[in-house]
Amino acid sequence: MNKIAVRAVVIAATILSAQAQVQVDAGLPDYIAVQGVSGTIKGIGSDTMNNMMALWAEGFKKMYPNAQVEIEGKGSSTAPPALIEGTATFGPMSRSMKQLELDGFVAKYGYKPTELPTSIDMLAVYVHKDNPIKALSLTQVDAIFSKNRKLGNAENLTGWGQLGLKGEWANLPISLYGRNAASGTYGYFKENALGKGDYKDSVKEQPGSSAVVQGVATDKGAIGYSGIGYKTADVRAIPLARDAFSYPVEPTPENAYSGEYPLARYLYLYVNYKPGSELDPLRREFIKYIFSKQGQMDVIKDGYFPVPANIARKTLESVGIKAGF
Amino acid sequence: MSFQSLENSAPARRKRAKVSLFAQGEPMIWLTGGGLAIALSMIIGLLALIFYHGINTLWPVAVLQFQTLDGSLYMGEITRAESFRSNDAEVRVLQRRLVRTGNFEFSGEHFIWINDHDVQAMTQPEWAVVIERTAWGRFYGFPESFTLAGETVAITPEAAWEKFGQYHGAVSERREKIRELETKEVGRVNRRLEKSRLALRAVEMSKGLNRPAWQSEHEKFLETEKSVTKEFKTLQEKIGLLRAENSRYVLNLKTAQGKAVAMPLEAIVRAYPANQLSTLGKAGIYFSRWQEFLFNDPREANSEGGVFPAIFGTVIMTLLMSLAVVPFGVMAALYLREYAQPGVIVSAVRISINNLAGVPSIVFGVFGLGFFCYLIGASIDELFFASSLPNPTFGKGGILWASLTLALLTLPVVIVSTEEALAAVPNSMREGSYACGGSKWQTIKRIVLPRAMPGIMTGMILAMARGAGEVAPLMLVGAVKLAPELPVDSVEPFVHAERSFMHLGFHIYDLGFQSQNSEAAKPMVFTTTLLLIVLIFLLNLLAVRLRTRLRRKFVSTAF
Repeated sequence: MNKIAVRAVVIAATILSAQAQVQVDAGLPDYIAVQGVSGTIKGIGSDTMNNMMALWAEGFKKMYPNAQVEIEGKGSSTAPPALIEGTATFGPMSRSMKQLELDGFVAKYGYKPTELPTSIDMLAVYVHKDNPIKALSLTQVDAIFSKNRKLGNAENLTGWGQLGLKGEWANLPISLYGRNAASGTYGYFKENALGKGDYKDSVKEQPGSSAVVQGVATDKGAIGYSGIGYKTADVRAIPLARDAFSYPVEPTPENAYSGEYPLARYLYLYVNYKPGSELDPLRREFIKYIFSKQGQMDVIKDGYFPVPANIARKTLESVGIKAGF
Repeated sequence: MSFQSLENSAPARRKRAKVSLFAQGEPMIWLTGGGLAIALSMIIGLLALIFYHGINTLWPVAVLQFQTLDGSLYMGEITRAESFRSNDAEVRVLQRRLVRTGNFEFSGEHFIWINDHDVQAMTQPEWAVVIERTAWGRFYGFPESFTLAGETVAITPEAAWEKFGQYHGAVSERREKIRELETKEVGRVNRRLEKSRLALRAVEMSKGLNRPAWQSEHEKFLETEKSVTKEFKTLQEKIGLLRAENSRYVLNLKTAQGKAVAMPLEAIVRAYPANQLSTLGKAGIYFSRWQEFLFNDPREANSEGGVFPAIFGTVIMTLLMSLAVVPFGVMAALYLREYAQPGVIVSAVRISINNLAGVPSIVFGVFGLGFFCYLIGASIDELFFASSLPNPTFGKGGILWASLTLALLTLPVVIVSTEEALAAVPNSMREGSYACGGSKWQTIKRIVLPRAMPGIMTGMILAMARGAGEVAPLMLVGAVKLAPELPVDSVEPFVHAERSFMHLGFHIYDLGFQSQNSEAAKPMVFTTTLLLIVLIFLLNLLAVRLRTRLRRKFVSTAF
């Protein structure tokens, strides 16, 4: 049954070549600097968003030279404690906060932190560039990465031969690469690709998103998951199908926006905002910068996808900022 | 005669051979010598690897244009080559090359692999130009024409390039001027407003909103705001003028695929026609890149530009750490060796110190975060910086907390080596001092400490080497990915102990494991490692020189 599924997937797979470049929504405004913004912004959280935060910081500093921006990215799980302790101004996270983390925040401040969807990421499943595999279904991905196989694949997948590869690949074992448990990517993948099952013990946990890609790049039998922004020429992001009976979907921007790609997600910025109050100028302007043309351009620069203008407007209004577009 | 002597000596030799090899000591020489050789070759190998890659990274290479069998064109620099096995029915070993093609905004890729058997033609175009930009990474293309204020003034590559050379220097100068205006002048204005806002907030917190005291402070604030607005406007106009002047110069280029690109000169950091450069020209690019690497701020999420803030942060942190650890370590050792009665308690303390040296460094990091940042830092914030809460001032990682954490980490090294040095001072010297009527403290100060100084310095050198190379605890207490604001600068109060900082060790980790464009970042890892090693070497050299001077001074006064 497995082989039939693979064959169906192989036939159905459409191989798109070079990915088209994404554009920023024309409805977004240009950012215009105002005066009187200074102080320190401190972002603690996601490693996936680390470079994007750094790019925003650079852009923001160009506008406000004596605003200080410090970025720390060791995993999404480090964001909630930092926000609760007040050591961070912003908490970038590549997943939504868990109930427990929300409770901790509410217990201290009496209101929930505000979640700002800043950009769209696709969690890509990478293989070595020479790997001839055409596509995988989430059921197969689950059987490759998880020991519980919650999505119900009949057999445990440990070799590329089991996925229908021929020749030298038939006897090559699958070597697994993943993120460490502090990472939001780890949690997101577990929830959405493994049906909340547990990872196999043989997953080689890496300290950064880029480390996963580099690991896959040097190991022929490797498979790993990481944000699409970290793709290099040494790896290939394979098309994924929701289950054995659907068409596999390429990780392209169109498929992320249409929601067809099964592992597309928002990258969030959490902020301590008391509903109804007014944000201080520093945080207000940083948020406005992110949802401007320049800020969303940085998103593209980092390999992720910008949010459309209507989402940007809604998000700005959720923290009491008049969008004006 | 000679035959005889040979016959005579033969039994003697045989007799000697019976003596065990080990008894002669030969194998032990080989064993220990071999150990040294292996250790040396490992160290030299590692250093050579880092040196080789670190030195080569910034050297400019030729730009090649590839035409593949399906007719597409690619242009870029070859990064590396490898062989691979094809997946066809018959297995063949093929070659391919990784080419840095840049132009990320058009292709979505920084690098691509090109198979040798797909290449129809490979050329070195004369006018292929490499452009390092302020944003979007590298650009590869051909100069076409030059536009000055909307008018085309050059239409051949040669002429356009000449114009570029003519104007680029001035444009770069203006860009620097804009940056200086922005950081210094605008910064000063903004700080004034922020100070006034914080003062108002402080009054609001202590006296309450809308009280008379608040009213007067509020008026002051509004006044400041008004004058700041005016100043801000003139500055913006000044910057606007410079920007407008800069935007007049545009170099028009064409990519290998034929796409026309208008590139303002302001966006260009450095450009060179790679295939026309002589060795001397290449060397010029090479040293200009090193200069940028050593003295500039990082750009593009640390993947380009320089590492100056990281160098500065590493040095300042190491010096602050030595400043904290040496006096405390020496005092502790002095008490232990000179004053304390030897006994169970002193032995217990000594064992504890030795054990402290074995505690994993990350544990110190966790302690520093919990104790310094969250406890002491948060209390300082509440007492002195309440008006800027909830934004923490000291209640987060910073260079002061990082230095103190590392000082704790290296304390055992200093204590142990100081104790050794004190113990090595002969008792007869102390007794001599007592006999002359010196008190205990006079003896320590005049006799014991000067003698022990070289040993104490050795401890400091060891502590510095350990501290400068440590990264794990720093990640928790203040080393961050991006902090272009230096902990020491020309803005009062000049030393900003609360600021987070960049550290070379952490920078290496960040480049190696977290960089988005990891292929381009990899060579930078080697360069940065080389820099860190050189830096630690220099710091050590400094301390060693200091020690030699002290030793010489001591020797000359001895009789």
